[in-house]
Order: sequence, then structure tokens, then C-alpha cells
Amino acid sequence: MKCTADIDTRDVEELYINIDPIQAGGRLTVDAQKAALAYSDGYSVCDNCRKPFRLDYINKPPIADFHHDCAEWLNMDAVRLVPGARRGFQAVASSIVEKGDPVLVTALSHYTEFVSLEQAGADIHEIPKDECNHITADNAAARIEDVTREAGKTPSILFVEHVDYQYGNIHEIAGIAKVAHQYDIPVLLNGAYSVGIMPVDGKALGVDFVIGSGHKSMAAPAPSGLVATTDEYADIVFRTTQAKGDITGRTFGIKEVEMMGCTLMGVTVVGLMASFPAVKERVLHWDREVKNSNTVVDALCAIEGTQVESDMPREHTLTRINTIDSFDKVAETHKKRGYFLSQSLKKKGVIGVIPGSTRVWKFNTYGLTDAQIDHVCQSFQEIARENGLNVS
Amino acid sequence: MSRRAVDALFQALYLLTDIRFILRETAPVHELDDEQKVRAGKAIEKLKKQVTILEEELS
Repeated sequence: MKCTADIDTRDVEELYINIDPIQAGGRLTVDAQKAALAYSDGYSVCDNCRKPFRLDYINKPPIADFHHDCAEWLNMDAVRLVPGARRGFQAVASSIVEKGDPVLVTALSHYTEFVSLEQAGADIHEIPKDECNHITADNAAARIEDVTREAGKTPSILFVEHVDYQYGNIHEIAGIAKVAHQYDIPVLLNGAYSVGIMPVDGKALGVDFVIGSGHKSMAAPAPSGLVATTDEYADIVFRTTQAKGDITGRTFGIKEVEMMGCTLMGVTVVGLMASFPAVKERVLHWDREVKNSNTVVDALCAIEGTQVESDMPREHTLTRINTIDSFDKVAETHKKRGYFLSQSLKKKGVIGVIPGSTRVWKFNTYGLTDAQIDHVCQSFQEIARENGLNVS
Repeated sequence: MSRRAVDALFQALYLLTDIRFILRETAPVHELDDEQKVRAGKAIEKLKKQVTILEEELS
């Protein structure tokens, strides 16, 4: 079926169970889909934009209230919406980091964390992961000492992932923040895999910035996200423009430099807002999602030769699985080679495993119903049996 | 201007969206339980009413 002459209708969420590792938390709620229908035009939220002409001041739809509610929900002092988590990293890096400053990321940081700091001219160093694929306070402390000694000054910021994209492990954020603050280093929490799907309390974690992704974990259209901070840093990151035209003498009111004025002006912001009540509710049921994640992992581990590379038992819905000694053995002789797994899954109504992957791959069970979880478990085990693998 | 037609249009789109989500939550087999069948049935009935309004207003 086509949307237009050249664009297919995207109907995979209606036809299949989607376990794609990056798509699960970004599926829209029913309210966001309805809001998207009504606000699909470009500047649709700007009908009632009045002085001082800034997105976070618009009252109809209630975008101003949403900013306040979002900050309160994260237990932070101020929030701005940004077109994706990466633009949050960029805004913070651009505000805090001076050219040549040493900065810290981790061995599990996303490339956009690196690139945002590279843009700011930072001297980037990584905190290593431990043997369990965790970023620890001890390793952070040691690395701060090393980098400070080498650079002759302390890092100007530390970026750390609440949940990393490679393993879906939850890291020692409060301890890392405590250590960093002993050196007066502000801490940015990459909450792309936590904000919107599991409880996040910025003050309890002790971080200075919380970055969230709307399209990854807040049931919102792309590109959307947020940057939250404390009163201490709000005036720095959300500073207003001082620019003045030298011929015209024009000034630009309270436009914020890092936001480039307004950010999310249509379906993205209204989608975020429409999903927000359901998002606030769903994080309270994180234990159910973790239980479902463990159910699928247990079903996979019952297949001879399959191993989980993420923490066990699972504490998150994103999981890295190693099937080198199970499905990859099948792929060695299967006529469809490594594509047999994704194709077999699709025949059973499950998509989201990268075609060709039979060695180490990831999946995400977030948001599936109990019946869908059972279906995924049965599908993996049936494929295993159909291809001669033992299932215990 | 037909406010009635416009309201019926959006109401129909929202009802279709409710049906869309029943298809999502029951994918891939779309075997609806009793509660889902009731929800789907109500949405379809309401949708028919909105389509009737559109016919009245626009034809």
C-alpha cells in the first residue's frame, strides 16, 4: 500500500511485533498519533504565539506548562526541548567547554556525545568500562586523576550514559556524579535509554544535566528530545542572544543562543506533549517491562549455545545477545545464510533483528503486551527447533 | 464553512486511530479478546455515525 506514488505506507507496527533495539520506546501513544493528525502542518503550534515570541512561552497548546511539568517530573529546575538528544549534548558542550579543554566520556558513549564535544574543540578522554561492562565511580575517579595530571587542569565536563546503547546496562551514576563533583566537574546524564521509559530523578542522581530523547524513549515523533538542568547552569546553557545588527541596530529579544530561537515547532512538540501523561504513567510500571525482558531472555537462553552479553538478570529492556554457538551455527549451512533468522522471524510476525545478524545482536522488548512477549518467545524457540537446535 | 463536517472528519480520524492501536496491540495475529472486540465494535459504530455526518454535509 502506498502513501503517495513513491512512498510506501509504513504499516510494520500494525502487522508485526517490532523488537528493533532503537525503536521500541519511541512508538507513539494513541494520543500522540491523534495529536500528530491535527498538528501535522509545519508551524502548527505557532497559531497563538505572542510576545515574547518563544516556544516555551506558548500557552495554547500548553507548551509553557509542559516545560514546567517536564522539569518537575525529572526533578530538575529547567527544561528546553531540542531536536534529539544529540542537540542536547551539543547545547551543553557548546556552553560549557572551551577549545582545548579536557573532557570525559565513557567507553560506552554514543558517537553523538563525541561529536558534540569535538565541535566544541574538546580534548576527549574515555573512562574505561570494567570487566562487567559497567562504568564505575572508581574508574571515573582514576580517569579524572589521570586526565587532570596529563592536561594540567580538570576536565570541564563528564558525559555518562544512564543506560548504554551497547549492552543496555544501568551504570553507577550517583557514585560517578559524587566523584566528579569532588573535582568541580559538572555531569551530563545521557538518558536516551531511560528518560520516558524508567524513573529518572536528576537531583537524586546528582547530575547537572539530563538529556532525553523523545523519539527513542518518550513516545514522540523524531527528531525530539530535551535538555534539563539546574538553576546553577540554566543561565549558562539557556543564555539569551546579545547579538545586534551593526547597520540595522536590530536585537533579537529573548531568543536563546543554543536553542537557535525556537526548536520543536509542530508535530514533534505536540507529539511529546500528547504522550506525556502516558509516559509519566508508564515509567511507574518499569518492573513489568523488566519482567518481560527477562522472560524473552530466558526463552533465548533455553536455546543451546545462546548467551547474554548484557547484565543478568536483565534490568532493562534493551539486551545484547550472543548466538554465535546457536543461530550462527545454523547460518553456516543454511541456504539463506545469516539472513535465515530475520526472515524466519518475519514469517512468524516478528521484525527488528538486523537482517544477516546471527552472531551478536540486540533487541528491545519495551512496550509489548503479554501475548506479544509469549509470541516472541515461541517464535525464537520454534525457529531453533526447526533448524536442529536443542531447546531445554 | 461546515464546522459539523470538520468535526466529523477529525472525530473519524481519531476513531480510526483507536482502531489502528487495537491492530498494533494485537499484532501479528490480530486475535482480539472480548474487551478488545467491544472496543473495536464501539469505535466502528461511532465511525459510521461520523461518516454519515460527512455524507450529509458534503454530498
